[in-house]
Amino acid sequence: MVDSKQQWKAWLYLAPAIVLLLIFTVWPIINTVRISFLEGYNAMSAVNGAHFKFGFGNFKKVVEYRGFATCLKNTMLLCVLTVPISTFLALLIAVCLNSIKPLNRLLQTIYFLPYVTNSIAIGMVFAAMFKIVGFSVEGIEQSTSLGIVNNILAVFGAGPVNWMNQGSSYGANIAVMTIYIVWNALPFKILILLGGLQSVNKQYYDAAKVDGTSKVRVFFRITVPLLSPMIAYVVITGFIGGFKEYTSIIGLFGENMGPVGSGADKPLNTMVGFIYDSIELHQGRAGAAALILFGIILVVTLLNLYVSKKRVHY
Amino acid sequence: MKVVLENLTKIFPSRTKGGKEVIAVNDFTFEIPDGKLIGLLGPSGCGKSTTLYMICGLQKPSSGKIFFGEDDVTELTPENRGVGLVFQNYALYPHMTVKQNILFPLQNLKGADKMSKDAMLERAYEAAKLVQIDELMDRKPSELSGGQQQRVAIARALVKMPRVLLLDEPLSNLDARLRLQTREEIKRIQQETGITTVFVTHDQEEAMSISDMIVVMKSGVVQQIGKPQDVYDSPLNLFVAKFLGTPPINVFNGKVENEKLLIGGNAVLDVKGVSDQEVFVGIRPEAFIIDKQGPLECKLLNVEVMGRDVSIVSSHEDSVNPIIRSIVDADNLKEVAQESVHFALKPHKVFIFNKDTEERIYVGNEKEKVEADK
Amino acid sequence: MANETMMEKDMQKVTAKQRVIRIISLVLVYAFLILMALIVLFPFYWMLNSSLKSLEEYRWSIPSLFPHKLRFVNYVTAFKAESLSVSLGQLFVNTAYVGIVSTILSLVVTVLSAFAFARLEFKGKNILFAGLLATMMIPGELFTITNYTTVYRFGWTNTFIVLIVPFLVSVFYIYLLRQNFLQIPNELYLAAKVDGTSDIKYLWKVMIPLSLPTLISITILKMMGAWNSYIWPRLVANDGAHSLITNGLRNAFTDTAGDIDYPVQMAAVALVSLPLFLVFIFLRKYIMKGVSRSGIKG
Repeated sequence: MVDSKQQWKAWLYLAPAIVLLLIFTVWPIINTVRISFLEGYNAMSAVNGAHFKFGFGNFKKVVEYRGFATCLKNTMLLCVLTVPISTFLALLIAVCLNSIKPLNRLLQTIYFLPYVTNSIAIGMVFAAMFKIVGFSVEGIEQSTSLGIVNNILAVFGAGPVNWMNQGSSYGANIAVMTIYIVWNALPFKILILLGGLQSVNKQYYDAAKVDGTSKVRVFFRITVPLLSPMIAYVVITGFIGGFKEYTSIIGLFGENMGPVGSGADKPLNTMVGFIYDSIELHQGRAGAAALILFGIILVVTLLNLYVSKKRVHY
Repeated sequence: MKVVLENLTKIFPSRTKGGKEVIAVNDFTFEIPDGKLIGLLGPSGCGKSTTLYMICGLQKPSSGKIFFGEDDVTELTPENRGVGLVFQNYALYPHMTVKQNILFPLQNLKGADKMSKDAMLERAYEAAKLVQIDELMDRKPSELSGGQQQRVAIARALVKMPRVLLLDEPLSNLDARLRLQTREEIKRIQQETGITTVFVTHDQEEAMSISDMIVVMKSGVVQQIGKPQDVYDSPLNLFVAKFLGTPPINVFNGKVENEKLLIGGNAVLDVKGVSDQEVFVGIRPEAFIIDKQGPLECKLLNVEVMGRDVSIVSSHEDSVNPIIRSIVDADNLKEVAQESVHFALKPHKVFIFNKDTEERIYVGNEKEKVEADK
Repeated sequence: MANETMMEKDMQKVTAKQRVIRIISLVLVYAFLILMALIVLFPFYWMLNSSLKSLEEYRWSIPSLFPHKLRFVNYVTAFKAESLSVSLGQLFVNTAYVGIVSTILSLVVTVLSAFAFARLEFKGKNILFAGLLATMMIPGELFTITNYTTVYRFGWTNTFIVLIVPFLVSVFYIYLLRQNFLQIPNELYLAAKVDGTSDIKYLWKVMIPLSLPTLISITILKMMGAWNSYIWPRLVANDGAHSLITNGLRNAFTDTAGDIDYPVQMAAVALVSLPLFLVFIFLRKYIMKGVSRSGIKG
């Protein structure tokens, strides 16, 4: 029953949302796609009446740009490292949590804590934990802290490692980022996987127990298959999140996206970082980069879906 | 307040393009007398709920008019009609207490009807007392049993003192025992308040037991309107005959020849004034009399003794259904042979229907039966 | 007979062995879980520990696991620390203001749209809704590029409006609330109609109370969003007067010569983290529920 009064009312209720979405969501989609195909587009000259040639120039520029390869490499590397590690750890923690009763709620709360943090703020804490303080001051005798992480390593007879100070290696930098990103990504994954585990019918486990199935076998033959939709979900969202990694690196390394002394090169910059670096002066180029990012995310997501379609048991 | 439905029709447009539209209610005309309890009865999808919603104002008729008394209410919104509606699943607001639920309709009154807080509370308690839930006013719906929730829903519908009370499948969510209790309760409340009440049900027993009048519907078309007993005793067509009564009526393929009704070649009844033709014969379970000389011979399947009555389950090759269920006096049981049973029939419990239109063409009357006994 | 006792003995042996295995595995499970919990907690501990030390103590080559002398003054220093030409305290106020205003406005817009999508019938409803959902797939950066020039053209830079309005409508929140509204039986709406309840009153008296948990989840996610936003304010509101806390935090202690007062920095970080933690402690249930349904951080 569609009466005209209800129609009119519905549109009235939707009006604020629609107006805002038109300006800040729909128009940007159209416009960003448009300007990414206008070679060398920038808003300032556009206002002054400049005309831009239609073509793939922006995309070409982005791909040929030296910094872009670095950004792409860093982003990919972080995705490939953090998603499997965090998913595996989260799965292990979730399964363990699901098997215990005492301390369950307390531990759940603790594991969730990293979620309610400011990724810049805690990034700064991680930096403090990894950094050597007083290291670079020459000539003047000063007490030096190697950073708590190196202190702990020393207990096991390892280190010290120059994680992120001036002159630190790329591998050490990536290691710090991976640790931080995994730490940050765990809560969400644990929550989703634990939710999945709790909805698994207990009868499957009882049946397995009656059959005398071993715990390891239960994990791989029952838990993982039954949980596969949730696992697929956290992997997909993990990749999407990984491709958008940016603020956690700012938290760790600051706005120059690299250890002190790396200057304007931003050796640890990411795709999103690249987009924001061009946003103020080269909107056309930023748009092209955003479309490339969107394309990559789309391909990876579809790839994930394809794999999970073959592997996921619903 | 009498309620008049005049050529009421509701057509739902088809959901898919080019699909068929659905005629939910077709040309329904009826005058509901003031202060009566009316049951709208029919299988699901027959248009009974749509009729109720149109009386209520939640759905607009495609054509036709609705009057409350002399007022044409066809174009009025529900709140301006003065109706109370009780939903099948009660639709109590789960976050409000019983009291808040009952008060809710009163708080919506505007202008001249606006009431003071005390007056509202008094009204709410009055309504609650009527349905005997005044002890439960501070509970939440989730803390009540199904029957109690039902009462709250009725109290909420009554609190505005509606001109017409509408109940949508009021008993379907209750268990068997509560159902019996609640239907007496509805009858009592209706009689106490004297509000014209319309309720919808698919359960013929429920409708028969409490209604002053019943309306039997099938695919949007009214089949018969009348007092429950009249409709039962004199169904206008095969559908109505089949729909009313438990156990249901037994239907046979029969033939009329020379004013005699034949089932399986045997003349079972005299039928004056009926021309020769193939017919359906409807025989109520209570129409069977065990009689060694009886003309209707059936194959005996089972005898179920249920205290006062005995139900005989048998079969006959001209029966439309695989089994025939008859209810007879326990006294005559010794007449039953091992393999077959012979019946005589009470003429006024036998109906003859046209084979094509399924309209009733004959029913015997009680006098004839008395004559036959002589 | 002898056979039977043999078997019984075997059985006992097996159960005894199984019991030992079970205890060992339980110990291992707890050990793993507690170790992981300590790793998760460690940064928070280190933040608090460091924030109460003097810079000298912080630089000890063998770190102290608990400050020798608790220097709460670090927190006062942090609060007053200048960043982007204003104090961190001012940035706290800015962030709270933006967070509260944008949350309230966002709730109003979300509730109205979700109601229209869940309860009202209008032409093109399904197409419109599907269209909105489709925009959720597109990465936010794509919007930001054009929005950046749009707000410049509107002259909104360095105002609070620019921090509130562009991200007021979240398709995701509308979706979440619509799902919740749909779970409320339609009969309640019809019952209210029969009683003459207006749409707005029905919304206020029935739908909002019934979907309170979802609304709380949305509130918290939106607040967290404001509290953690960094990129957008850095682009369009970087004059200090309208900057938000995260921008100030990162800028107050920019790493140049390596001679940062780390304890004060950690105190500032603790101050920034505190409000979120408090909210989490009180509304843990709603946050976890909201997040498990939401999927994407912030």
